Amino acid sequence: MEELINKLKEEIIDVLNLEGMKPEDIDENAPLFGEGLGLDSIDALELIVLMEKEYGIKLKNANEGKEIFKSVRVMAEYIHEHKTK
Amino acid sequence: MTKIVVTGIGIISALGNGKEQTLEGLRAGKTAVGPIRMLNTKHHELPVGEVAFSDEELKQLIGMSADTVTNRTTLLARVALKEAIAEAQLRPSDSDAIVLISGNTVGGMEKSEQYYWDFQQNDNRNEYIGLHDCGACTEMIAEEFSGHFKLTSTISTACSSAANAVILGANLIKDGTAEIAVVGGTECLSKFHLNGFNTLMILDKEPCKPFDAQRNGLNLGEGAAYLVLETEESALRRNVPILCELSGYGNSCDAFHQTATSPNGEGPYLAMCKALQNSGLSANDIDYINAHGTGTPNNDECEGYAMMRIFGDKMPPISSTKAYTGHTTSAAGSVESVISILALKHQFIPANLHYSNPIEGHSFRPVTEVKENVPLKHVLTNSFGFGGNDSSCIFSAYREQGTEDRIQNSEFNIQKAEETAHSSQLTAHSSRSTYIRAASQISLQAPLSEQWFDEPVVPSSLNCDSQEANYSQYISPMAARRMGKLFKRAIATAVDVLHKGDCEQVDAIVTGTGLGCIENTEKFLIAMLNNDEELLSPTHFMQSTHNTISSQMALHLKCHGYNCTYSHRGTSFDSGLLDVLTQMHLGDIHKALVCGHEEMTPEYFRMLDRIGYWKKEGIDKETLHRHDSNGSFSGSCSLNLLLTDTPDANNLCAIRGMEMLYKPDSQQLDSALQRLLAQNDLNINDISTIVMGLSGDQANDEVYLNFAHQQCPDTPIVWYKHLFGESYCASAFGVYTSAIILQRQTIPNHLIYKGKAAEDTPIKHILVYNHFQNKDHSLILLSSCLY
Repeated sequence: MEELINKLKEEIIDVLNLEGMKPEDIDENAPLFGEGLGLDSIDALELIVLMEKEYGIKLKNANEGKEIFKSVRVMAEYIHEHKTK
Repeated sequence: MTKIVVTGIGIISALGNGKEQTLEGLRAGKTAVGPIRMLNTKHHELPVGEVAFSDEELKQLIGMSADTVTNRTTLLARVALKEAIAEAQLRPSDSDAIVLISGNTVGGMEKSEQYYWDFQQNDNRNEYIGLHDCGACTEMIAEEFSGHFKLTSTISTACSSAANAVILGANLIKDGTAEIAVVGGTECLSKFHLNGFNTLMILDKEPCKPFDAQRNGLNLGEGAAYLVLETEESALRRNVPILCELSGYGNSCDAFHQTATSPNGEGPYLAMCKALQNSGLSANDIDYINAHGTGTPNNDECEGYAMMRIFGDKMPPISSTKAYTGHTTSAAGSVESVISILALKHQFIPANLHYSNPIEGHSFRPVTEVKENVPLKHVLTNSFGFGGNDSSCIFSAYREQGTEDRIQNSEFNIQKAEETAHSSQLTAHSSRSTYIRAASQISLQAPLSEQWFDEPVVPSSLNCDSQEANYSQYISPMAARRMGKLFKRAIATAVDVLHKGDCEQVDAIVTGTGLGCIENTEKFLIAMLNNDEELLSPTHFMQSTHNTISSQMALHLKCHGYNCTYSHRGTSFDSGLLDVLTQMHLGDIHKALVCGHEEMTPEYFRMLDRIGYWKKEGIDKETLHRHDSNGSFSGSCSLNLLLTDTPDANNLCAIRGMEMLYKPDSQQLDSALQRLLAQNDLNINDISTIVMGLSGDQANDEVYLNFAHQQCPDTPIVWYKHLFGESYCASAFGVYTSAIILQRQTIPNHLIYKGKAAEDTPIKHILVYNHFQNKDHSLILLSSCLY
């Protein structure tokens, strides 16, 4: 799981173009949206594309993302359970 | 006050071709949205509002030969324009001030996505390359009236484009630039924007349910609609029936997010407030609202709250007609204006289809069944676009001259709205003067400085990119994460120009950009073609809409004022300047940013190279000066000007007036120049220098040199494109160069193309002349503030 969390952090930084940020700057237990990392609805859509591209997980609507993107850890757990590649 | 009336309307959408079929469809209360039949895409799970005619059939409808090279955006527009012009009985001889303002965003994309690899790899489809941009469509649309327009322009503000075309047309009439304005918008379905909206996950796989608690997104549609606006005097003189009045309009920027609307609908609220104020009506006068109502969770909720803020518990009947037509995006503003006018004329209210239950927190229910025999006097229609570009228009039953009963002191409190919008519309405008307060540029020259004036960088490549500034002082890394180069340049120059002009906030942000963020547009297009319409980035799509640059500036500056974007080829910037000058003359705005932003990618450069835009080699000053071959060199560039109507010792110069013309003959061009000079009690000998867009391209330069030879053979000529390169918004640098010359009262040798500036003589007046392919022309008169 820790390995997946780190990989995910790198992918998030890359896909969201978080300039100057390193994996260790992201607290895997902090919220991705709002107060934590401060991401927004477009970032959520990019993360949905990321999950499909890298892990073969397809969400039907953007609302499902709300639960999954609570934190990097929650996201990693979801990916671990549902990945198809 | 000038009364503006509507004398012709034309429409084509999924509901059918023309007013009759549209009316029939609306009254039948049946959706025209259905499965995809023509669009070449794999996403057949998405229902759309497709126009039932093929391109060939559309060509037949307007009597165009089958082999004419054009695109669907243009064809839809021409069908609708033809109907509007026929109803208004409009003939070229009716006025010498008929203008065409057309909105679109997708442009020729539906062809470009088919032929993109040809564009990149061979010369097989070169005839479509020059038809890709939005302005090219407007040029082809103008041909439906044999090009007999005084001026044409293209607005590209995504889903509010057509509404903003209505607004500009009306303002041009009020200010006397136009007597008759043909206004509207057009958009055809394309694989590109179907996939784009799909990445945003806002497309419903079922027919859309506007304002319903269970709504799940929008259905895309296609179509076009145009209105003929004119002064009441013009309509009476021409003796044509008047359909209704355009009694008010307003535009505001939500300045909240690139795609989402603010929770309380601030932008929509301000747009509706401005429209009410502009009309002199009170909220209680509105008899029906044709809402934007796309069916997305975000729009409908926020639009509902904005309407509740204005109308409270006295909500007029409301319906969104998007469930009939699909969301026709850039055309929606005029499609729904025409629907509103039909409702007004036939005294009925179209239904809000597929509605069951209210959204939590909403205190109203839309009209769910067609209502006949409803006395309607005033109808408000909303159009909101990406980037929070929000516009509202009010159409009213025509009251003959002398029967006005409008309540001038509306009980509706507009004060707060006005304060928030940083506008003070009610103040009478004492003079018509407009000044350039400050300027800021990023180009191949040293960024955010005027070093180029004394020590210019000599361009060295056929495709010169800009020298980047240090953006971190202007934009935080989090804000920068989704910004392409053009956004960063736009924000840096905007912040810099406000700082230089000692100004905190503006009333308007107006952008000219021929192509918008093509880097991200191409990324999306290429990924779509390579990945078989899968795994696409919503960020790239969002940034492909031309007005994201202007809305990013508004977002950064938290500017809720007027926001507009012009994508009209080589006069994109000029169009924006005309808009701002017009509104300043009308006293509607007092401080504004007007800017030009353009970038160039290797791919787009290659495409334009195929159709002769660039020289093959040699871009040194001497080669360009010889102008004995085709093409020039490309220069990415960004310029922000701060305009004000307040005199100030630090203003760079005064803008005394401008004229824009479409395909003028030499006599029309001469008359425009004489008009411009006479308005300012000047004659041509008062012009110290003429600044022109000479670029080294033979055909381009010939037009400029002929003009100078005929009008002012002895006046020194200044050029600037040898320093900044050629781009669709390069003309902005002509105005900028002139402003700096007027401020510094000197012309460095490197700017002189021909002649010699008289020494020890003050530089009082400069004429800036710009044309694009000898079709669109602009003349701008600038004067020194020192004399």
